[in-house]
Amino acid sequence: MRITVNGTTHELDVPASRTLAELLRTDLDLTGTKESCAVGVCGACTVLVAGRIVASCITLAAQAADANIVTVEGLASEDRLHPLQQSFIDHGGFQCGICTPGQLVAAKALLDQNSTPTEDDIREWMSGNLCRCTGYYQIVESIAAAAAAAVLGD
Amino acid sequence: MTSLEPIGVAGPRIDGVAKVTGEAKYAVDQSLSGMLFGRLLHSSRPHARIVRLDTSAAAAFPGVHAVITSADVGDHLYGRRIKDMPVLARDLVRYVGERIAAVAADSEEIARRAVDLIEVEYEDLPSVFSIDDALADSAPILHPDYGTYPGSHPLDAPSNCYFEHTINRGDIESAFAEADLVVENTFETARVHQAYLEPHASLVHLDRGRVHVWTNTKAPQAIRDVLAFTADISRDDIVLHRSTIGGDFGGKGTPLNLPICYFLARAAGQPVRMVADYIEEFGAGSPRHATLVHLKTGVMNDGTLVAHHVRFLVNSGAYAAYKPNGVIGGAPRAAGPYRVANSRIEARHVYTNTVPGGHMRSPGSPQAVFALESQLDEIARRLDIDPLRFRLHNLVEDGDDTAWGEQFEHVRLKETLESAAEAAGYDSPKAPFIGRGIAIGDHGAGGGIGNAEVVLHPGGSIVLGTAIFDQGTGTYTTLQQVVAGQFRVPTDRVSIEVWDTDGTDNDSGIGGSRGTRVNTTAAYEAAQDARRALIALVAERFDQPEDQIEFETDEVRIPGRDPIRWPDLLTEIEEPVTGRVHIEERSPARITGFVAQIAEVAAAPETGKVDVLRFTTAHDVGRVLNPVGHQGQINGGVVQGIGYSLMEELQVEDGRVTTLSFGDFKIPVATDLPPLQTVLVESEHGVGPYRIKGIGETPNTPVAAAIANAVCDAVGVRIFNLPITSEKVHHALHQREN
Repeated sequence: MRITVNGTTHELDVPASRTLAELLRTDLDLTGTKESCAVGVCGACTVLVAGRIVASCITLAAQAADANIVTVEGLASEDRLHPLQQSFIDHGGFQCGICTPGQLVAAKALLDQNSTPTEDDIREWMSGNLCRCTGYYQIVESIAAAAAAAVLGD
Repeated sequence: MTSLEPIGVAGPRIDGVAKVTGEAKYAVDQSLSGMLFGRLLHSSRPHARIVRLDTSAAAAFPGVHAVITSADVGDHLYGRRIKDMPVLARDLVRYVGERIAAVAADSEEIARRAVDLIEVEYEDLPSVFSIDDALADSAPILHPDYGTYPGSHPLDAPSNCYFEHTINRGDIESAFAEADLVVENTFETARVHQAYLEPHASLVHLDRGRVHVWTNTKAPQAIRDVLAFTADISRDDIVLHRSTIGGDFGGKGTPLNLPICYFLARAAGQPVRMVADYIEEFGAGSPRHATLVHLKTGVMNDGTLVAHHVRFLVNSGAYAAYKPNGVIGGAPRAAGPYRVANSRIEARHVYTNTVPGGHMRSPGSPQAVFALESQLDEIARRLDIDPLRFRLHNLVEDGDDTAWGEQFEHVRLKETLESAAEAAGYDSPKAPFIGRGIAIGDHGAGGGIGNAEVVLHPGGSIVLGTAIFDQGTGTYTTLQQVVAGQFRVPTDRVSIEVWDTDGTDNDSGIGGSRGTRVNTTAAYEAAQDARRALIALVAERFDQPEDQIEFETDEVRIPGRDPIRWPDLLTEIEEPVTGRVHIEERSPARITGFVAQIAEVAAAPETGKVDVLRFTTAHDVGRVLNPVGHQGQINGGVVQGIGYSLMEELQVEDGRVTTLSFGDFKIPVATDLPPLQTVLVESEHGVGPYRIKGIGETPNTPVAAAIANAVCDAVGVRIFNLPITSEKVHHALHQREN
């Protein structure tokens, strides 16, 4: 199969049962995407497939063939963190960090389609991403601050 | 410009970039060439004899390299303190989920299929799941050989109650007889999982006589010693390498499958990685204990507490092995920081045929505080005294003994409670079906053993060496701040070097708010030690007395000479300067940290649905080293408390956990959180060089009681058991009407 991840196209020969999370983590060694609940509930494995958020642990790799995939490794540019990544650092948007790749990818998808989300919009959108450390307050704050900074053109 | 006083500043996390880019390597991300994948066969019976175990089909399955059973794991029992658990079941299983056999294979899938080929025949035995059933005369004794286990205390007679402790003060019987009112209630709390999002994982590699381990533990030295004992090898033959830890909340002090992973790697002759799935985590992890708390309290009509009897019963599960001390604390917190002259506090730990309990955030305290603070509200209502005034009347002050006979220093309970009440608008009018509930708690920063090394390098970089494996709370960043502050340099000049377990002999690791107390002290003293070594070096080199030499950031001033820069000096002599300390601060902190919380809820009388509208948490704090990290502990602790209060429960049917995924075991999500107001009541007093207080536990402990009390205030029904589901509230309302 052919798959494009963070702008790089790969030709791979994988079993039909391979999930997208396994393919990313094992075949492409992109271990930033985490697998936690394995049943599509927790959001740790969230990646973008053709711009849409997907639970990669319950998505077959074959379903993502030919699509553009974005993972946490694809957020930063060569010399600069994505504004959401910087905002998570500045506002305490993570502690242990295991859910953070999924949170960041989900937050990016939100801002891609709504650049001025309200706090309720953020909570609603992010309710598919579990976090056990932060209690979510600083995640919501991080996303709101990144959105506000983008609007101000910072 | 970067401030040169980093203490108290919300500096960026040292692990920030690695964690937001996906570069951070967790135990599940570690791999080695030739690595095999381990899977387990778990018991499907709560209590049974294994009459036949046939692994031959599994062993013959293509791609399988090893299948092990109890015959392959040595003779030692396993446990942190009380060694009562077989590594793999020996002819007997005591809970659904108990580990029976393990397979190492070329892939997860092959291992899983091979496990399905293992045949087990059981002969069922009578089981006990509840505390009451386990204590009944007719109950089967789960551990008839208890007294022979290493780390156990002999019992007078065989019993499922393996630990009993009583504190008596005053004359409780007379005090009850003289009390104007005696209130007696029983409270029950559910078993819950820590719900970290990174499951337990281990990778073990035996290489030229050494055992290399990558596992997500916050207590690497202790876990190394447990593995050495269990595997009957020298601790020096084992090295635990650092992995980033994906959440702990108490659960990562238990190695869970590490000993099995070691025996699998030994049998297969290849590295083996075992990653638990969440069916295993929820069904056979190390959850917070279910408890039964009986409270009997005597009080005078003016609201003065005179007698308090606690019976704190812990459903320990089938083994004590996962508990670092064999038992959990908590019983005294069911008496709380209140003045009561006559008390009896009994704690009993009971074996049952259920999943063994372990540590979770302030082990025992949320259970005890839920019971006590609910009980106090019941008493206040019976006496027609406002719950706030009732508490203020009975709180300990400086010089007062607690119910268990200790004294706190610099008690700031009243200030903390009053500031919570003020911030929450406690006395302001409320609409119907809106209620406010109060609860308080305390937790001191834990003691332990810590190590640190500070190395000043040529050119001026500073490296702090530490033995701790930060489980996510940000301790590395705090330590970086401490060292940067000591040398008045920007924090990014200080990097952290995390030692593997060869780096030191003994270190307590993380737990019980120990990190901020013990490890900041160690980092501070190591920095002081390095500073003294640098002064001695300069003094000798320039032939000046040490007391004439002064530092100001990188500048060293020597009388009669131009100032020199120490980074340049070290470059010139091509040598680093090192300070290193090993500290032991085992005693519990007498200066504790208090918390007072007020929940405001709406309870729907038709459905029983409870919504937390607003939550106020006031903390008596010492010096706050990193405000963002400190607030993160408060936020996370409160939200975990809300989950514990309203939704979380490992449901058990016939001994079998039935909530086996994050779809069934509900934890709060971003839409569940109420507006949170935090009040910090600052104090000059605390422990260690920075006069700190712990913040990891206190935000979590009183939440359930505050919410239960608010529900009662809103609709007039008392929920005696956690979690407070809509069904329970609805049922209680319905019962009251009939």
